[in-house]
Amino acid sequence: MYNSVKKTLEDIMLQKAGLVLSDGTSIDDLIDLKMHEVSLRVMNDPELHKIEMERIFARTWLLLGHETEIPKSGDFIVRDMGEDQVIVARDRTGDVHVSLNVCPHRGMKVCTAEAGNTQAHRCIYHGWAFRPNGDFIGAPIEKEQMHGNMRPKSELGLKKARVHLYGGLIFATWNIEGPSFDDFLGDSKFYFDQLFCRTDSGLELLGPPQRFMIPANWKIGSEQSASDGFHTLTLHRSLMEGGIMGGTPESIYDNAPGMYGVDISCTEGHSLRCLEAAQTFKMFSNVSFEGKTTEERLHLLPPPGITPDLIPQLFKNLSPEQVDMLATIPPQVGGMFPNVLVLFIFAPRTDGGASGALALHTYMPRGPNHFEFVNYIFAEKDAPESVKRDMLQNSIQQAGTSGVIEQDDADTWPQIMRNARGPVGRSMTLKYQALTGHSKPENWPGGGMIYPGFTKDDTQWNWWLNYHRLMSNPG
Amino acid sequence: MTDRSTAAVDKSGIMRGLVSRNRVPLGSEIYNRILETLYDEAAVLDERRFDDWVAMLAPDLIYTAPIRLTRTGPNRDRDVMRTMMHFDDNYQSILMRTGRLSKSAWAEDPPSRTRRFITNVRVGEAEAPDEYEVVSYLYLSRSRGENPEYEITTAERRDIWRFAGGSYKLSRREIILDQATLSMSNLAVFL
Repeated sequence: MYNSVKKTLEDIMLQKAGLVLSDGTSIDDLIDLKMHEVSLRVMNDPELHKIEMERIFARTWLLLGHETEIPKSGDFIVRDMGEDQVIVARDRTGDVHVSLNVCPHRGMKVCTAEAGNTQAHRCIYHGWAFRPNGDFIGAPIEKEQMHGNMRPKSELGLKKARVHLYGGLIFATWNIEGPSFDDFLGDSKFYFDQLFCRTDSGLELLGPPQRFMIPANWKIGSEQSASDGFHTLTLHRSLMEGGIMGGTPESIYDNAPGMYGVDISCTEGHSLRCLEAAQTFKMFSNVSFEGKTTEERLHLLPPPGITPDLIPQLFKNLSPEQVDMLATIPPQVGGMFPNVLVLFIFAPRTDGGASGALALHTYMPRGPNHFEFVNYIFAEKDAPESVKRDMLQNSIQQAGTSGVIEQDDADTWPQIMRNARGPVGRSMTLKYQALTGHSKPENWPGGGMIYPGFTKDDTQWNWWLNYHRLMSNPG
Repeated sequence: MTDRSTAAVDKSGIMRGLVSRNRVPLGSEIYNRILETLYDEAAVLDERRFDDWVAMLAPDLIYTAPIRLTRTGPNRDRDVMRTMMHFDDNYQSILMRTGRLSKSAWAEDPPSRTRRFITNVRVGEAEAPDEYEVVSYLYLSRSRGENPEYEITTAERRDIWRFAGGSYKLSRREIILDQATLSMSNLAVFL
């Protein structure tokens, strides 16, 4: 009898795509694939959170920083992969390694600093020491062999993650045999290359990231990163009222600045919004590309973060199709699954001029009810110092802790999670039913799912589809 | 592999308060007037009278808040990282921020209820005549909506106040926050 009940339960669990919570709720109950709705409960659920840490954050590629943070041998930074803390370090050969910041001896943090330089990370508890690549060097009092003799030294190193550098960005995963980084990027690589791999020296992180806590579930920020363009009109209304995005306060909904463009997405859950500058910002509204070559267009209006001197490098590092896209309808905002926001925007300055702001955010889970917002601000390494200074200042004023755009996001997200607490509120659903439908324009140069026109819910729904896919896989 | 990086952590400052060797003694006329100005400023900000606050700012204002980084060993006291800021503002950008607060700034609409407690005020003569280096501690409590929990931040503020036109104007403020990871979810309030 018991066995048959158990067998039936197992069948149900298989049918329900591999995820059933203890109250019998399945992933398909939480994410209604037919109606394009997601239960608000997912934004505040400890049980789901634990599974997310295992099936998403311990398995997928995660952004940890940029190699310009650790230029020298022995340089290290401490970052997070979900709820697990890691040491990101450069060794003598120049390779970057990512190792769990947990001493294999008695579980203490091996690094207690956020950054530094050393060839030997010595745990302050009993003194076990490790190389930048995570290898165990030894314990104090060598002749007493304080690591015992049951395991060889080769088994006593820090647990090592798999590392991939992309445009200098440091990604890592615990999924040692899993998909390659290129598989993880999928069709979005063609577009992300235009942002991260376009100049000879690449990007440079301008300083250590801003870090601050948001009392909200990590998915509330992350699903918005999947190219939620529509919220800009209302939540970021002050951008329009300030007069920088075209129109007047009274005509915000009539003009809908920045809403028309091309949204791009792929099955891996990444997405980007590609926007024509002239359609977005008032200051560019007189710029006409009529009859202009790619190069002329680039000089007329260089993409965010690119100075005229850097334009020849674009042709060198990118395909003609990629450069043409960057010149016409550059990707500006979007996200990388699971928790990265991409913000490579034309940024209006307070003096009426234009600048660029290049930023990436990661939304690192801290339990089901909080995430840490980590804000990385970049410039092209070969840009003049004055441009870097201008971009840093602009980026800080627009995004992150005090940024006038993202202040409003930071105040909204906790209220959504608050609403996911009540038994009635939890049963409400998030709607992703305003759909454009995938339709690739003629001669479109890149892959993926392409949504031209008004920004709608397609890309965010694709984010949830990938969430559903990963959460359904018990591994 | 790169040879130079502004993100590398060597561009950092040691935590230090008052630099001036010419102290303006506690209880002196100038000290009292400056202390009064700091109290007035706290009230102006708590009462959200932003035009009155702007009137206390000098047009050459520089207003910054560097990040803090947890470090160990020989660099343990070099934890003020001026390569990255939470605020990186000037007079113009402060006007942009206060202007926004009068429109659709949902981060402060409904407004936070704030109290700025200013203590440990030390004053010294700055190099330029009529300019004073003013170091103070800030304890800011912030209550939002019906949430019964306060958001709190603490900082040291290193200011330059200039006596001009019968009152003191703020021309420089560096805010040294005490958290490497801020617990406040945004800085839509001035510090």
